[in-house]
Amino acid sequence: MNKILIVDDEIEICEFLKSFFEDRDFKVAIACDGTQALEQVSLFHPEVVLLDIQMPGLDGLQTLKKIKEMHPKVKVIMVTAVETQEKIEEAMRLGADNYITKPLSLEYLEKDVQDKIDILAKDL
Amino acid sequence: MPTKAKLPNTQKFDYQEVLRDVARSMVRLKRPDRLLKLITRFIDQQFGLAHASLLVFDPKKGHYVFVHSKGTKRLPMGLVKFDSDHPLVQWFSGSKKKLPFQKDFLFLSDVKKMLSRAEFRMASNSKGDQLAGIQKTMQNLKVELLVPGYFKDALVGLLMLGRRVNGRCFTTQEVTFFQTLAHDCSMAVKTAEYNQNLVEQNQELAKRLEEIERMRNKEQRTYYEIMRSLAEEVHAKEPYIFSHVSEVERLGMMTAREMGMDLSGKTKDLLSAALILHDVGKIGIPDNILCKPGQLTQEEWRVMKTHVEKGARILEPLTDFKKVREIIMSHHERFDGSGYPRGLKGDEISIEARIISVVDSFHAIVSSRCYREGRSIDSAIHEVRNCAGTQFDPVVVDAFLRALRTELQKKGEIPSALAEHAAD
Repeated sequence: MNKILIVDDEIEICEFLKSFFEDRDFKVAIACDGTQALEQVSLFHPEVVLLDIQMPGLDGLQTLKKIKEMHPKVKVIMVTAVETQEKIEEAMRLGADNYITKPLSLEYLEKDVQDKIDILAKDL
Repeated sequence: MPTKAKLPNTQKFDYQEVLRDVARSMVRLKRPDRLLKLITRFIDQQFGLAHASLLVFDPKKGHYVFVHSKGTKRLPMGLVKFDSDHPLVQWFSGSKKKLPFQKDFLFLSDVKKMLSRAEFRMASNSKGDQLAGIQKTMQNLKVELLVPGYFKDALVGLLMLGRRVNGRCFTTQEVTFFQTLAHDCSMAVKTAEYNQNLVEQNQELAKRLEEIERMRNKEQRTYYEIMRSLAEEVHAKEPYIFSHVSEVERLGMMTAREMGMDLSGKTKDLLSAALILHDVGKIGIPDNILCKPGQLTQEEWRVMKTHVEKGARILEPLTDFKKVREIIMSHHERFDGSGYPRGLKGDEISIEARIISVVDSFHAIVSSRCYREGRSIDSAIHEVRNCAGTQFDPVVVDAFLRALRTELQKKGEIPSALAEHAAD
């Protein structure tokens, strides 16, 4: 079963996406900030992380940097309302695998997560 | 308030009453977005749903987003969007006649039923694809019932209702009620949109007015420049050494300063413009009169005197120059009341006009004209002084001569007439 970690400081978004991916037979973990996210990546070993940028404490970009340092294989998709060119470039430079701005199309999100899973499967 | 409307225990509660409440709220609420929130909360509370959510078209972004969601399983705001080509939007947007299965509402159970029919199961069937997309979306959002809201046939929003917590189905009466609310929501959204547009249009209008004002100022400036050239032109045929216009302006400003007049900003511009433009009306006087050597006939004088009114009329398009026109009208008035065109006297003549009268005469005396040589400064000073109290305001004459003396002193050439004056 594929595993996905959802990181967002809005609990309603976490719960909604949890339910969405559970319906698609994912094992889902959620985290509300960057520190929790790093713990979950180490404990839960997700294939894909959906990562918000604006969070209290360790923000999304710092979290992204640490995830990629510690677990370079994990696919990280930024899911954020912040869409300045600067942030997008920064995220890409730090190794983000995609950058999706909120509000998003659920169909696109599902497809993109599946793409990342497929890429990982191919690498194995 | 709709939220306070009581739902009786019996199934047949008074929808009419609730509708009236909603309608009243609509009128009362100046902020239509508040109404949307009220309606969403009302549905959630009265019907005991997992969630009641409202999806609304955002014309600026060009997609549909959730604006409100209430209930224990409420949907997050700002996460999900639906583009105009999404099956859900397509289904409700198409022309009603072309879609035999389209209704003004859609139950998940009906979508499932339709999909089970052979005609929709075929992969090539676009209607089937559309229904499959709708089914998936409704399942994603845990929606049991969709109720669209329209404005002039355009899909403004969708009321998305989750399952009832008690598991009961929605009655036909309830669905009709939701349709009314969805319609109210659309109206509220449109009202909010129009309000916003109105605000933006007002801002746009204010910006344009500013632009017009700027252009008007620019035009006035241009017109003023043209008038200034015309004023110079009046004297062009006369062999002044310096421009009469510039000299009169300089002497006038000098006198005003000597009199202690406030020469900041607008007052200065006003005096300066009057000094420059005072004779602009002479462009309307024939050359044979304007440059006639020797005495003018009575008729010629009559024509000559019209340059005052002509000047004032020429400046009419300069709306900011009302005061300048008044000054020009008075620059041939005499202090004792024997001048023209109105025979004003003393204080009735504006101070600016009294200044022009002195410096214009002085400069005319010392300058050569087409019909005679200019006279000496001494002679001009004498004449100006002699006319103080009759033609000229003595206070102005005093100030002018003081200023002139100071100026000439700097050049080291004090005329004898002024030496006398200083001794007085």
